[in-house]
Amino acid sequence: MATIVRDPSVPTQTHHEVTRDVVNTLGTAGRGYLLLLAGAVGLFLVGIGTFIMLLKDGLGLAGYNPPVFWSVFITTFVFWVGIGHAGTLISAILFLFRSPWRTAVYRATEAMTVFAVMTAGLFPIIHIGRQWFFYWLMPYPNQRWLWPNFKSPLVWDVFAISTYLTVSTTFLCVGLVPDVAAARDIMSGWRQKVYNIFSLGWKGTDNQWRHYSRAYLYLAALATPLVLSVHSVVSWDFAMSIIPGWHGTIFAPYFVAGAIYSGVGMVFTLLIPLRRVLKLEHMITDYHFDNLAKLTLFTGSILFYAYLMEYFVGWYSGNTFEQTTFWRRAFGPMWWGGWTMIICNAFVSQLLWFRKIRTNLTSLFIISIFINIGMWFERYVIITSSLGNDFLPFAWSQMNPTWADWGILAGSFGWFGMWFLLFARTFPVVAIQEIKEQIPYPRLRKGGH
Amino acid sequence: MARTVPGVLAAFEHIDAACDAIQALRAQGRTDFTVYAAAHNHELEEAVGLPVSPVRLYTLFGGLTGVCAGVGMTYWMSLDWPLLVGGKPIATIPPYVVFMFELMVLLGSLSTVVGIVLLSLAKPTTGLAYDPRFSDDQIGIFVPCAGAEAASLERMFKDAGSVGVRHAA
Amino acid sequence: MSDATQPEGIDRRRFLTVLGVTGAGAAAVSGCSTAKVEKLVPYLVQSDDQIPGIPTWYASTCTECGAGCGLHVKTREARAIKLEGNPAHPVNAGKLCAHGQSALQGLYNPGRVKGPMARRDGGFTAITWDEAIALLSEKLQAAGGKLGVISGAGRGTFSDLLSAWTQAQGGRVVRYQAFDFEPVRAANQQVFGTSEIPAYDFAAARYILSFGTDFLTDFVSPVEHQRGFAESHGFNNGQMAKHVMLAPRLSLTGMNADEWIMLRPGSEAAVALAMANVILTERTGNPADANGLRTALAAWTPEKAQEASGVGAEVIRRLAREFASAQPSLAVAGGIATQHRGAIQACAAVNLLNYVAGNVGRTVKFGADLDAGDGYAALESLLQAMEKGQFAVMIVHEANPAYSLPKAGGFAASFAKVPFKVSTSLYFDETSHLCDLLLPGQHALERWDDLRPRRGVTGLLQPVMEPVFPTLPTGDLLLRTAQKLGGALAALSAPSYEAHLKTQWLKTLGTDEAWRSALQHGGVYGDTPVTSVKLAATAANVAYTAPVFDGDAGIDAFFFAPVPSVMGDGRFANRPWMLELPDPVTKITWHSWVEMHPETARRIDVREGEIVQLTSPNGTLSVPVYITPAIHPEVLAVPLGMGHTAFGDFATGRGVNALDLLDGKDGQGFLPYQSARVTLTRTREFKKVAKTEGTTRQLGRGIADAMTLAQARAGMTPALARKAEGHEVEEINTDREVEAIEGFRASQLEKRNIGPYAAEGLPMWGMVIDLSRCTGCSSCVTACYAENNIPWVGEEAILKGREMTWMRIERYWEGGEDGDPLEARVVPMLCQHCDNAPCEPVCPVYAAYHTPDGLNGQVYNRCVGTRYCGNNCPYKVRYFNWSAYNKKAFPEPLNLGLNPDVTVRARGVMEKCTFCVQRIRGAQNTARLEDRALRDDDVVTACAQACPSNAITFGNMNDPASRVTQAQQSSRGYHILEDLNVRPAVTYLAKVLHRSEG
Repeated sequence: MATIVRDPSVPTQTHHEVTRDVVNTLGTAGRGYLLLLAGAVGLFLVGIGTFIMLLKDGLGLAGYNPPVFWSVFITTFVFWVGIGHAGTLISAILFLFRSPWRTAVYRATEAMTVFAVMTAGLFPIIHIGRQWFFYWLMPYPNQRWLWPNFKSPLVWDVFAISTYLTVSTTFLCVGLVPDVAAARDIMSGWRQKVYNIFSLGWKGTDNQWRHYSRAYLYLAALATPLVLSVHSVVSWDFAMSIIPGWHGTIFAPYFVAGAIYSGVGMVFTLLIPLRRVLKLEHMITDYHFDNLAKLTLFTGSILFYAYLMEYFVGWYSGNTFEQTTFWRRAFGPMWWGGWTMIICNAFVSQLLWFRKIRTNLTSLFIISIFINIGMWFERYVIITSSLGNDFLPFAWSQMNPTWADWGILAGSFGWFGMWFLLFARTFPVVAIQEIKEQIPYPRLRKGGH
Repeated sequence: MARTVPGVLAAFEHIDAACDAIQALRAQGRTDFTVYAAAHNHELEEAVGLPVSPVRLYTLFGGLTGVCAGVGMTYWMSLDWPLLVGGKPIATIPPYVVFMFELMVLLGSLSTVVGIVLLSLAKPTTGLAYDPRFSDDQIGIFVPCAGAEAASLERMFKDAGSVGVRHAA
Repeated sequence: MSDATQPEGIDRRRFLTVLGVTGAGAAAVSGCSTAKVEKLVPYLVQSDDQIPGIPTWYASTCTECGAGCGLHVKTREARAIKLEGNPAHPVNAGKLCAHGQSALQGLYNPGRVKGPMARRDGGFTAITWDEAIALLSEKLQAAGGKLGVISGAGRGTFSDLLSAWTQAQGGRVVRYQAFDFEPVRAANQQVFGTSEIPAYDFAAARYILSFGTDFLTDFVSPVEHQRGFAESHGFNNGQMAKHVMLAPRLSLTGMNADEWIMLRPGSEAAVALAMANVILTERTGNPADANGLRTALAAWTPEKAQEASGVGAEVIRRLAREFASAQPSLAVAGGIATQHRGAIQACAAVNLLNYVAGNVGRTVKFGADLDAGDGYAALESLLQAMEKGQFAVMIVHEANPAYSLPKAGGFAASFAKVPFKVSTSLYFDETSHLCDLLLPGQHALERWDDLRPRRGVTGLLQPVMEPVFPTLPTGDLLLRTAQKLGGALAALSAPSYEAHLKTQWLKTLGTDEAWRSALQHGGVYGDTPVTSVKLAATAANVAYTAPVFDGDAGIDAFFFAPVPSVMGDGRFANRPWMLELPDPVTKITWHSWVEMHPETARRIDVREGEIVQLTSPNGTLSVPVYITPAIHPEVLAVPLGMGHTAFGDFATGRGVNALDLLDGKDGQGFLPYQSARVTLTRTREFKKVAKTEGTTRQLGRGIADAMTLAQARAGMTPALARKAEGHEVEEINTDREVEAIEGFRASQLEKRNIGPYAAEGLPMWGMVIDLSRCTGCSSCVTACYAENNIPWVGEEAILKGREMTWMRIERYWEGGEDGDPLEARVVPMLCQHCDNAPCEPVCPVYAAYHTPDGLNGQVYNRCVGTRYCGNNCPYKVRYFNWSAYNKKAFPEPLNLGLNPDVTVRARGVMEKCTFCVQRIRGAQNTARLEDRALRDDDVVTACAQACPSNAITFGNMNDPASRVTQAQQSSRGYHILEDLNVRPAVTYLAKVLHRSEG
């Protein structure tokens, strides 16, 4: 052949270069990194301070305004759970689909999943009136044999979120083992000792690989329905109620699409700077971002459709309550929120039809910021605007967030960022072994068999 | 440090060479050799030719246990202290499906991990000679043996295209 | 529905428990004053009327206004915890208004004066009672008759003693009430030759015409009026009276009118005279002497009235005909809302109208001689005497003239001219701050006393508990000073006021048994005599001249209307219950406002909440605007009773005092509240109005449903009625869907028959609320606060919609746009205890669950506060403790009034109406102890008990004979948001509109 078209999914480096480049990211931290970490820890402390105030004086500090009994905390909870979904989608579902472009990015996104779900898991506790009794939501044997109410979507949440956290953590750790072993074999000194422990005696023997590769397949197979179920369950927190604007059958797919959309958005926000900081430009390439962008475009379009359907169903139902709710969502006192969510999600995502934008990292980064804002507002609007004007007009009202709401929101970002940054320096953020799996070994006889 | 197993450790940089060597070993009727690699590789897997891993059974049993646990927990706990809410039946399947599913996934995946650990421990690697480059870019083959046999194996590996053979004693 | 009067059973059982305090009993009442509350005092000697855990009831009399309603005071462990009406009392028949119930917070008010105090070098210093009495006696000695007394006390033994005591020293007493209805009395003098206030029999009236009189809230005897009004105006077997309100502004009473006719302020007389004229000329068989008025009235044609009032001549004719044809009818005038400079002629004209229509003696009953003060004129002359320095000592008792008189009247200045000023007020009010000696009297629930509100009714007051603070009944104060001073006062030799009172009573009663029985019944009640009156010669002089308003008329000038609100004349402004109780008309709490018509607001371009300056010749006020269709475009209304400069932490500096814009001086013998014109200037500053309402329209959702009289008579259901009116009806559930739901429900029902839910013969608690009787007076709301320890949350929390009112009155406006008449709808909203409660299944910890007897239970201890139930409640009747309201709302000694049977909810838990489960369980226990089945009237919720118009019926829906089951059969019955299929246990009976055509 005259020209050899290189498959962009096959890395250009040799096995050795891969090991070296990735393990080099584990070296000592630079100033930029430390600044970022300091910022994250600072935000986290703000959150801690706010939470202490909430414990001391009660939820009254936040901007709740009955009948808006849920607002920023639940909004942020759903936001973070959603972020998590992109990670599992990329690491598990795309693994089953054998899509080669995932390998370079999945480790980072999976880490993002674990930490996002960790963050989300805090919110049910922060949000309840008597935080010190949060464990009453779990079925634990107690003196008076009181059990939780399994008919309550909130208990579904408890199980869904905790399962999700456990499984995605397991998945992440299992994937890490061979890479940690590789790091162990290069490192020296105390680092080697540490990685030696984490590698659990991995040697990469034929027997280990045989069980490992199989098991990884099944884990992916289990994680796939899980990722779809978790956000469905979260959406049922709303769909199972009778509030107009919540009580919609499209909520499960609508929320899952939104979750993945927001998650991929967050992937951009994290990876675009990260790959520069860690000098991984040659591993995480435009090719990967292009594919991620296509995923964003796809889920964004589903979201667009869901929005249209919501309003259409609201109108078509002929139900005055539904109609009023959606009318007020677009033109009522919360109009600004309603339009923010539609513009940031439905419209902005459509820009990704253009290849130029998909492959331009700056534009992708900016778009990803819009996506994050838009998806947070989506939940905020769905929750507060629907609650604010339901059945009895006499009881209608709107809520305005206070410093307490913002403090907790900021704290959640700090908490997430802190963990992610620590992970990025301590463990390989690119899956060494899976990349090597894609690089063919050299052969003595040309042409192979 | 556990006692080291005496034997020959050969390192390969070329996949086909490694496969040839493994074929040769199997032709000699050997099954006690160990192959090291930095990544999962189908050619090697075929060359070694071991049957499919039984780890899936762990997944299956874990999953089934989860479903049963889901049914048992929800029904027993509902009926243990029957409380009426929203005019709904005391114990009812639709909402409880969620718990059956979640517990299936949870126990299923956890038991899979247990599976890896147990099955790997079934064939311990302690004392087998190993080289750090096997987790980097080389493929390694270790054959426990001694004396003359070791010499013949070394020759065999060299012919196959090994980039280095070492005797462990 | 049958007019459910106070259930017999309750009455009987109460009768047995209601006690007369004997000396021993009173002595045994211990451990209840704040001084002692710290250390536990065990009942070493158990008194026979104090059983821990069992409430003891005392009969007493309400002193919050002049009506003199009978009380039953519920005490637990020797503390008053709830006030209810005395079923045997002729005035209120077991009912009580919000003001009366709030007397508890007057008793336990932190703002009370905690003992005698004297002004020493500027400030007040506490002294002993002996010092205090010595000081007072010495000053009285020195005064040598230059003694003046302003007393707000009602007519009774005390007021007799007070005047005897004062006159013996050659002093002057003025019995002063801020709302004293002088115009009514003057008009009666002019027309009938008697200055007494008659009893209005609303129950008998078939047609009620109110000339701006808010007779349901602040006119003479509100509870009695409301009872009667509900009897006649409530739909009852196809019958109901019609109620027409002629007023520039809709008061609570106006909201209950079938027809509101907006007339120009001050023009009532013109309309009334025209109507009388029409009746006289058109009708035969008028009272003989009435015909004598023909010539006098002939001049007052409807056309003339039209130009004066802006009411169409045809309307006036129609009203006249309706009024005359309905027998008997009743026209009322007077009250603060119409107390302008033409008030006397207005009342006189209405007297003529009543007389011409033959209502006098049938619905307007003279002879009752209702209690009233000496009137404004007497006070004015006293003030002039003060001004001239004719007094050496001035005693102010149960009155607060420094607040309730316009500052322009210059009370403070003349008062300052008195060398030694004494206050017996219970509270640090404006007047006591001007005094030199504070001798705090005792609260009505702490002391012995009596009242004679009307002929034939004498109410007794007895101490139901030890005084909260070391105070002295003013009666005893008088007697002890009398003993010290001797001389002419020697006659007043009773050892104590209690003894004095008893001797006075024994004069008429004779025996001790009679005295004891009087105490048990709360007084002695006979028939109120009815004397017939004839037209006086001066009746013919009644005429209409447009009343004068201060300030010049102009395009930017408005009529200024200070209107009585929840605060009354200001005496209730120091009670959190009253401050937090939404004004029945505007639903605003905790601060003042100015009501403005939307057109006016549009014309001068102000939005709700903008603070505007109202300026009259006498002063300026800055108040936030509240825009309401229920007011004449030329009128700006501001509530009375706020803007205190003293009177405790709750009242001080809250809102504005509308009196600041008024001129105190007036020649006619009353304070003309409605006499100022104001100009309005915008400040462009805003204050969020602390109202509990979200949107004022029900958007055709059929929440507060209504039908015309014809439809009600035809037995239409509310849905059919709305169809007939041409409104589209929400029909989400088709017949097939309903069928499916029924089937599903059946399967559910048998699936859930397990554990206690399988039990047989359990009651199923339910409630019926008759919207044709409910007036929206909000008495039930306060009753609920008192019974269930509901914390008040304060203005800041209300602004965030965090009020905790388990029971709220939703008020919606209907019509009022493009020509169709404005109409108010009220609907009491409380937990509906739904059968398919949406709040229950969403609770993760079973804190919300359904009891086997159909209650929607809320387990505070189990609640973790996820608030999902609050979200999922379509009626929004679940309330969350956002902060530690339980700590904030009951500062010492308010906490003494808490109901021990009800948990005080902690921070972070959800709470809501329980159908007074504590009363249900209590009644069930009693029934078990008495080994009998539960009677229908054993359980009465606090709201149903208090409701002056008997709009609420509570009971067991499984008992086909129970009143609630009967009431549910009514064709007017409907459930709010029925389409949600949550199956509420509360059934509403649609309001009935008595339109002209209907």
